[in-house]
Amino acid sequence: MSGGPPKALPSTGPHSLRDMPHPLAGSSSEEAVGGDSTPSPDLLMARSFGDKDLILPNGGTPAGTSSPASSSSLLNRLQLDDDIDGETRDLFVTVDDPKKHVCTMETYITYRITTKSTRVEFDLPEYSVRRRYQDFDWLRNKLEESQPTHLIPPLPEKFVVKGVVDRFSEEFVETRRKALDKFLKRITDHPVLSFNEHFHVFLTAKDLNAYKKQGMALLTRVGESVKHVTGGYKLRSRPLEFAAVGEYLDTFALKLGTIDRIAQRIIKEEIEYLVELREYGPVYSTWSALEGELAEPLEGVSACIGNCSAALEELTDDMTEDFLPVLREYILYSDSMKSVLKKRDQVQAEYEAKLEAVAVRKEERPKVPADVEKCQDRMECFNADLKADMERWQNNKRQDFRQLLMGMADKNIHYYEKCLMAWESIIPLLQEKQEAK
Amino acid sequence: MEQAPPDPERLLQPAPLEPLGNPDAGLESVVVEEADRPRDEGPGDGTMTENNFWLKKIEISVSEAEKRTGRNAMNMQETYTAYLIETRSVEHIDGQSVLTDSLWRRYSEFELLRNYLLVCYPHIVVPPLPEKRAEFVWHKLSADNMDPDFVERRRIGLENFLLRVASHPILCRDKIFYLFLTQEGNWKETVNETGFQLKADSRLKALNATFRVKNPDKRFTELKHYSDELQSVISHLLRVRARVADRLYGVYKVHGNYGRVFSEWSAIEKEMGDGLQSAGHHMDVYASSIDDILEDEEHYADQLKEYLFYAEALRAVCRKHELMQYDLEMAAQDLASKKQQCEELATGTVRTFSLKGMTTKLFGQETPEQREARIKVLEEQISEGEQQLKSKNLEGREFVKNAWADIERFKEQKNRDLKEALISYAVMQISMCKKGIQVWTNAKECFSKM
Repeated sequence: MSGGPPKALPSTGPHSLRDMPHPLAGSSSEEAVGGDSTPSPDLLMARSFGDKDLILPNGGTPAGTSSPASSSSLLNRLQLDDDIDGETRDLFVTVDDPKKHVCTMETYITYRITTKSTRVEFDLPEYSVRRRYQDFDWLRNKLEESQPTHLIPPLPEKFVVKGVVDRFSEEFVETRRKALDKFLKRITDHPVLSFNEHFHVFLTAKDLNAYKKQGMALLTRVGESVKHVTGGYKLRSRPLEFAAVGEYLDTFALKLGTIDRIAQRIIKEEIEYLVELREYGPVYSTWSALEGELAEPLEGVSACIGNCSAALEELTDDMTEDFLPVLREYILYSDSMKSVLKKRDQVQAEYEAKLEAVAVRKEERPKVPADVEKCQDRMECFNADLKADMERWQNNKRQDFRQLLMGMADKNIHYYEKCLMAWESIIPLLQEKQEAK
Repeated sequence: MEQAPPDPERLLQPAPLEPLGNPDAGLESVVVEEADRPRDEGPGDGTMTENNFWLKKIEISVSEAEKRTGRNAMNMQETYTAYLIETRSVEHIDGQSVLTDSLWRRYSEFELLRNYLLVCYPHIVVPPLPEKRAEFVWHKLSADNMDPDFVERRRIGLENFLLRVASHPILCRDKIFYLFLTQEGNWKETVNETGFQLKADSRLKALNATFRVKNPDKRFTELKHYSDELQSVISHLLRVRARVADRLYGVYKVHGNYGRVFSEWSAIEKEMGDGLQSAGHHMDVYASSIDDILEDEEHYADQLKEYLFYAEALRAVCRKHELMQYDLEMAAQDLASKKQQCEELATGTVRTFSLKGMTTKLFGQETPEQREARIKVLEEQISEGEQQLKSKNLEGREFVKNAWADIERFKEQKNRDLKEALISYAVMQISMCKKGIQVWTNAKECFSKM
């Protein structure tokens, strides 16, 4: 490999919507195909994959003859992937349909992984397999091994933390499903990781266990060579940009930790508030039973408080299920990033050590020995990969947090809107003039 | 409609315990000293046409509270709060009000006034005073009597008390009440000179009557149960409400922490920084908004408390009825036994056990003259007893009639007031929800700019 950074794969950089080839039109080609059009699922089946420059028969306006179902689902996928810089997309993966399996030895959950792709590597346009958590865990480890210069997205926690949570409860399974879906989508988005062999097998193999047993089938050259770095080299100093990243990540993780604690505390306080509300509402009912003219108004207030309680419960559930897990994921993400940074430091340290060793030996020839050059390559590759990943990570982080925090605001707004509606609706009841008895 | 009220103009004499059955009473309005204060009286038939004639004429306000130190009965220094009561008379024509009286009173004087009214008007549901000590507090509120918020709420409660009394068709005419508003010095002595304490029924007597009465008016029995249950349910409500307030306070305040952490986080971010920072500010606004919200809610709690204490006043009226009824029953019983005795003496048959009978058996018969004398005494007693029974009966019926009239008035008032309280509570909740929506919408906008 030359000294330059590896050519970025399918990302063709920002394109205007006009120029952008249809996601399913070309495969992993960098070339922009003119015209935008929407596909139909049938088209996927019928296509011949050798043809990179295929123009869809439906070429023309997006509102063409394609079926609305497919274009909307496509749109959904695009939005889910939050692809605002217009990358070409030729791989779609979703995680859904959790199912419980009860066997003699154990009980576990599997998820359906659906893959749709036009890439050459895929023999079929569509795949559907079932995987369980430990398969994801295996995949992640494999990715870390085989792509050590890249940042691998985090998985949801393996073990249930508090021990109080039921790992077969609907809420837990759904939270996990979302996290696993996110995990795969992040890999899908990655220009390098999405082409990883292990990933491909994960998505397509009928019997993953057999493949696992085979052992590590393919390793990239870079991966192999990096594996041989035994460490023990002391790094002089991190280059400025990576040092800045390191510092940023430290503070970032700290702040996220604080936010996590605050969010948990809020939920705890809200639950305690809910407990009191649940006692408060019924007292109005009790009172109502004593009264004549006031009976209806008091009963109305009781019902109103009941509605507010229900709304509050929904808020706390939502925050627990949607907000906290994503927050924690990012803490894990920044931890992964830090460990990748460390690995990079190791590579740099090795290079520097070798360079120094050479400098000590008297060298007449100015040419640098081959293995030192190899080290330098390795380091520069690593740096480039990491830089690219950092940028990507920063972008995604911004989008993810914008979405997360807006979501939190939304949940609170909906809570207050529900309560407002409840109270506004009883005002007329309270103001009603009772007929003279 | 009530009977003619006791004549308030009678100098230094308490109003009679019950309105007299005599329809001639209370007709005249003797304006003795208060020449500068023209008083409207009702038409001569004793019926009231203006229920709130005081309110039409005057405005009462408890406008200030002041900390004072003085010496108490044991000559020890004490700190107390004095309240300024201002009375304004409203001129009919131009609606302007003129300050006519202004004096300072402390809580114990209010208590004295109320005790006086309780004794002298037992058939009236006497308005309650605000609580002596802060109860049903949630942790942020101070339970200290000197705390300015407590003093302020008490000031409002005392004003409310005076307005209630002034708007009561009967109580408003009371002389002692009038003097309370107008005569600063010597008022306590004046009240005590009425000797009202002597008329007070002993608690023991009342308790005894409650247990032993055989035939109380069913309505009063029901009312008694109602007031017990009302007390119980409102107490419960106030306790839980205080806990709810506590929790709500916690929820809001913790959000303030977001303000700080967003600010710190924004320092390390480039594009996200501004959005985070401004969102954090909104979180601070949210956290601090709870203080005002809960302060408003205290007003609602005070309205509930008033009716909690009103329940006690209702009980007092029921107790009085039971006492009177018991008294009546005892008198009737006594009369019946005397009549029986008389009959036995007259006919010579001894059906009932009597000491006289025993001694007669033991020590011999009495002479016919002795017997005649005894019969005569008994007959006198019986005649007296019958008179007493008649008047007690009349009193009892009058009491029931008047008390029930006031109870009906009270019920209407209670329904009105509590409805208003519930409406204002709902309005407070609506305002709180709207504020919440506003803050989170603002925060959302900041987040969208991240």
